[in-house]
Amino acid sequence: MLARSIDTKSDTEVTTESTRSPSSIGDYKITGRDSLVFLVDASKEMFIKGEDGEPSNFDMTINLVTMMVCVLKIISSDKDLVALVFYGTEESKNPRNSFKHVYVYHDLSEPGAKRVQEVDALRGEKGAKLAAETIGSGETSLGDALWCCANLYSDIKLRLSHKRLMIFTCRDEPHGGDSVKDRQARTKASDLKETGVVIDLMHLMKPGGFDISLFFCDIVSPPEDESELGLQLQPSDKLEDLLKRVRAKELKKRALARLNLCLGEGINVAVGIYATAVAARKPGSIKLYRETNEPVRSKTRTFHTQTGSLLLPSEIKKAQYYGGKEIVMERDEVDAIKKFDDPGLFLIGFKPMEKLKLHHHIRPAVFLYPEEDEVKGSSCLFSALLKKCSERNVFALCRFISRRNYPPRFVALLPQNEELDEGKVQITPPGFNVIYLPFADDFRTLDPPQFPSASQTQVDKMKEIVSKLRFKYRSEGFENPVIQQHFRNLEALALDMMAPEEIEDLIMPKVDQIDQRLGPLVQEFKDLVYPAYYNPESKPAAKRKTADTGGGAEKKPKVELTEDELKAHVQNNTLVKLTVPVLKDACKQFGVRTTGTKKQELIDALIARLRS
Amino acid sequence: MDVGLTMSNSAPGEESSFELAKKVIQKFVQRQVFSETKIELALVLFGTDSTDNPLSQDGQYQNIRVHRHLRIPDCELLIEIENQVQPESKEGDWLDALVVCMDLLHTETKGKKYDCLNIALLTDLNTQTNEESLEVIINNLTQSGITMQFFLPFPVEEDKEGQGDSERRDPGHPGTGKGLSREQKKNMELVKEMMLSLDVEDGLDEIHTFRNAIEELCMFKRVERRPVAWPCQLTIGSSLSIRIVGYKAVTDEKPKKMWITVDAQSHQKDDVKRETVYCLDDDNETEVQKDDIIQGFRYGSDIVPFSKVDQEQMKYKHDGKCFAVLGFTKQSAIHRHQFMGSQILKIFAARDDEHAGVALSALIRALNELQMVAIVRYAYNRTSNPQVGAAFPCIKQDSECLMYVQLPFMEDLRHFTFPSLENKKFTPSDAQLSAVDSLIDSMMLVEEDENGEQRDLFKPHRIPNPAFQRHFQCLHHRAVSPGTPLPPIEPWLKAALDRPEVITERCQDPLDVLKRKFPLTEVEKKKKLKTSAQIFGKESEESEAKKVKEDEAEEYNLANIAEAPVIVFISLFGCGDPRVLPVCQQLTHRIEQLLSNKNTQYYMKSITCIQAFREQSVKLANAEHYNSYLQSLKGSIPNRGLEVFWELLVQDGLTLISKDEVEGSTVSKAEANQFLVAEEQKEEAAPAPVEDTGDVDDLVSVQCLFLTCLYFYSNTCLCNCCDSNGVKTISCVSTWGVCDVLSSQI
Repeated sequence: MLARSIDTKSDTEVTTESTRSPSSIGDYKITGRDSLVFLVDASKEMFIKGEDGEPSNFDMTINLVTMMVCVLKIISSDKDLVALVFYGTEESKNPRNSFKHVYVYHDLSEPGAKRVQEVDALRGEKGAKLAAETIGSGETSLGDALWCCANLYSDIKLRLSHKRLMIFTCRDEPHGGDSVKDRQARTKASDLKETGVVIDLMHLMKPGGFDISLFFCDIVSPPEDESELGLQLQPSDKLEDLLKRVRAKELKKRALARLNLCLGEGINVAVGIYATAVAARKPGSIKLYRETNEPVRSKTRTFHTQTGSLLLPSEIKKAQYYGGKEIVMERDEVDAIKKFDDPGLFLIGFKPMEKLKLHHHIRPAVFLYPEEDEVKGSSCLFSALLKKCSERNVFALCRFISRRNYPPRFVALLPQNEELDEGKVQITPPGFNVIYLPFADDFRTLDPPQFPSASQTQVDKMKEIVSKLRFKYRSEGFENPVIQQHFRNLEALALDMMAPEEIEDLIMPKVDQIDQRLGPLVQEFKDLVYPAYYNPESKPAAKRKTADTGGGAEKKPKVELTEDELKAHVQNNTLVKLTVPVLKDACKQFGVRTTGTKKQELIDALIARLRS
Repeated sequence: MDVGLTMSNSAPGEESSFELAKKVIQKFVQRQVFSETKIELALVLFGTDSTDNPLSQDGQYQNIRVHRHLRIPDCELLIEIENQVQPESKEGDWLDALVVCMDLLHTETKGKKYDCLNIALLTDLNTQTNEESLEVIINNLTQSGITMQFFLPFPVEEDKEGQGDSERRDPGHPGTGKGLSREQKKNMELVKEMMLSLDVEDGLDEIHTFRNAIEELCMFKRVERRPVAWPCQLTIGSSLSIRIVGYKAVTDEKPKKMWITVDAQSHQKDDVKRETVYCLDDDNETEVQKDDIIQGFRYGSDIVPFSKVDQEQMKYKHDGKCFAVLGFTKQSAIHRHQFMGSQILKIFAARDDEHAGVALSALIRALNELQMVAIVRYAYNRTSNPQVGAAFPCIKQDSECLMYVQLPFMEDLRHFTFPSLENKKFTPSDAQLSAVDSLIDSMMLVEEDENGEQRDLFKPHRIPNPAFQRHFQCLHHRAVSPGTPLPPIEPWLKAALDRPEVITERCQDPLDVLKRKFPLTEVEKKKKLKTSAQIFGKESEESEAKKVKEDEAEEYNLANIAEAPVIVFISLFGCGDPRVLPVCQQLTHRIEQLLSNKNTQYYMKSITCIQAFREQSVKLANAEHYNSYLQSLKGSIPNRGLEVFWELLVQDGLTLISKDEVEGSTVSKAEANQFLVAEEQKEEAAPAPVEDTGDVDDLVSVQCLFLTCLYFYSNTCLCNCCDSNGVKTISCVSTWGVCDVLSSQI
């Protein structure tokens, strides 16, 4: 149906660390919900179709709203509030019906399946007809529309953290030069802005061009960055462009943490850490009561097995088993062990870019941008650092503690310059990419097999193959089939569809195309590298079996351990020498229930049993 | 280990050989225990008062005690070493002890499989030995394949002169050659003979000193995991496949063991149970059985029930294990910061399959020559989610492989836009840029030495994960000394995580410049996260800590305190501003404040101020303020007991400004000279007792006051830094930051 995109809202707690500390200083706390109002022009002009049967501006807008509401909002941030309001309508519908020609199609609330269907109904030819019937086109008063929107906001009892209003129109003079109405609109707009609402204009194509300076420049919120003022964005005529622009505005940047980048004693640059690439996962499930489908709450308690009494945190300690001894620590000691320093980045030095090895990778990078609001002067120093690092092709090596009670990691700060596309839309933001570097423990010792290298003829043939299969990689080119399938399934269930929509698995090789493009090259290459009898598809030659016939094929007789033997193993700490099957048998034999199947877990379980 | 009489000898202030040897053993056992290796270990002590070994008979093999037989080391052994291994008073023959060890290895490894046998001997060699048995011993060692390591208090003498090696060994090792006793020298020869005749390359390298061994053993062994092979087929289209095997090469390694929850009293895991119950969200909190719960997912405001069975049926399914090429693209199209996942896989051709080896080599080399990568679909097995990733060619001297890294899905990316930094407000000036330039110069961690070889001063990938090191340090401590608080982080670890010292020294000046060029002011936050300590008041604790730190802190503050006024003064005064008078008053006021602390350090700061005052006055040909202040200061010296200070002033020759220096001055040169001399004569011997009233808080408030005054003069927004929040805020602003702001404002 639509291209969709998901960003899970867990920005605030994105870490791959297995253990999470519930609170930390570096965290940026967000309270309240986000809200978005679509204020859509419903005048006749909006319904005019393009010359070659291109969809009308109205149709395009509704398409976009559907996409935003139904997909982005529902999938990514289902707690956000969304409203859809039309202005310049014939009919009027608003809470107290105090405004004419303003039609509140959906007031501010969480979007749901029903709403998706309702907005969906406005799409296309049929939709236009439906729109003409229900809302119609009439007089315009943007002032009233804005006032009405202000009421929508004030009717919300929830705490709102972010308020955004997007105006979609193709008319740069909505009131046709009526200065009273213009002034009224301006006043209402500034009232709204004062209450913290950000007003954006998504202006659409208009014959003769859309002139923002005529009227709308006074309505919209000033850009957060002054330089943007200079570049007048072109009106959008493509859904894709519009979507890109709306998404750029709509995506709130949330810092994972705000902390200091310390260059030296007393030189602290405030920076925000942002996750720009986070593995999207299926959102968590909610537990429901089978009978009523109502959500249930879960309560977790810790209690004493013998007395059955609830245990207070102070009655619990933590332990690890090493060298035949239970080593016990207080719970706060366990945290204290992990603490090396307060959260922050500390500059160690600089290195030439080629010193950053490709295989030094342990987790996805994060992004660094200055926080002028925290330390004045940060942006200037940051910008100078960025410029020089980029010019000299060096990266900064830092020690990084991301949260309270987190052990340090070393990171490389890679400079990234700002890039804009032809439409002056930012493709890459300016800042440092933070690459996590591995410690000695993170490398595994491999014993690489040795083989003769390929000859140049063989390499050249492969080069032909490679060249035939060239394509332009784009990072956003592949959707995650697992997540896509999950959401199609949900959508089908929620909207009572007969079957979920088919997904296209983009990470499946297009075998037919590849074969066709390569043609005879494959056989030519195979002739060069493989002897005639060789079949790479076959199972590897069963070497081991032939080597010692009989012995290997038969299963070894079961080794049953006596309790004494086992105790001796426990005593001498030699349980590790036993194999997993033997340990499992031993567990069964002594009636030890184990939760896991890992060797260590089996050993721990046995030890716990036999010592007691 | 030798625990005999001479082992406890030590030079004054130095640790005895016994202490050092014990540390070596402790560290070694620690590593074994916490890395849970399967190495078995026995401990034989010699020079013991008692004798306990299977060979002792008829007065032979005396004073040798087998403390522990061959077993996997455990915490008990650690505790024993800590508490039971003590210096004793007899003498033991190290060759005899060696024989006991060999016998022990021989009898106790019977019927066991092993990779190698090793004896480590820790002794000072200061005993009489029966050298006749040497040859037999050497033969025996060679036959049974036992390797030897010696740990001695002193380094082995290098026979070959002029080899730089001996240099690196000596510092800190007393008595290289000279201080050795006759026995030691003789024994040393025996050791050398033994090590050279054993069938090992460079046998002398296995003779270590205690100190070097401790240094090398100080870190806990890195977490090692055996790589698991992942056999698969690399496919290009339907008919080209290459048999491959993948290994995890780099991954975010986690600790092997998790903390388990135990009861605080019994320390038993089984005594604690966690249980989760579910209940309806009604007034009665009606409990719901686990079987009556189904899963649902949010779809906007709706919750869609979705049973596990349905999920399983409807979910995405695939064919399992695969490594299939989707196509090839330029390496430059793959951004480093878009690497996903937490690992790097290395892909080799299947073992023992030469044809696969050649085929894969062709692909690796082709990619390398074209600077391209393969974009592949990777699935570990049927139950795991498939990924998209890039396979980079990697050619090393002895091996070729593909390196696979996961790339993002469209859903993973967030295209945040950030305001451009090409903004007039933030654009750095040329001077600022060059300050950053010189900082980078001074902090380059990779440099070329004289031979044109690159030297990397800081390699994070060689540093063991500090979290693990600290973890094991604390576990060891708790195991050996239960009931005592955890130890601080070990110094070597702290140092390993810090800037290399060379860099710290080198970057000091560029950092100072940077600090001056880039004013940074912390913006006061309306709402600050309060820690519980702040809420509940940690006053008492804090003041305790403060007292302890006072000494360090004082020095730190003093370093900043006087520089700021001087610089500010220079920039204000230097502009010939009509407000010179108030500025002078401000400075003199400051000097007076400094002088109210009768302490040499404060005196020095005052001198600096006066010096600057004088220099600037001369420069601007305005002697009036300076001279009048100095005269009044002189007058007050006896009353205030500032003789010591005056002496310093005299030493620095800070007299009145004479006519020769500044025309407007009313003082002649002779008078100026006399000004100091006269005082000298008058001076009485007894200097006032030096009182230390250095209170950190006082200093801070003075500083704040000073800045507030400056604010008044300069109309700059310095009020931010004057909150009484702490020393740090203020000092960072005051030192350099202010002067730039001020000079630009005036």
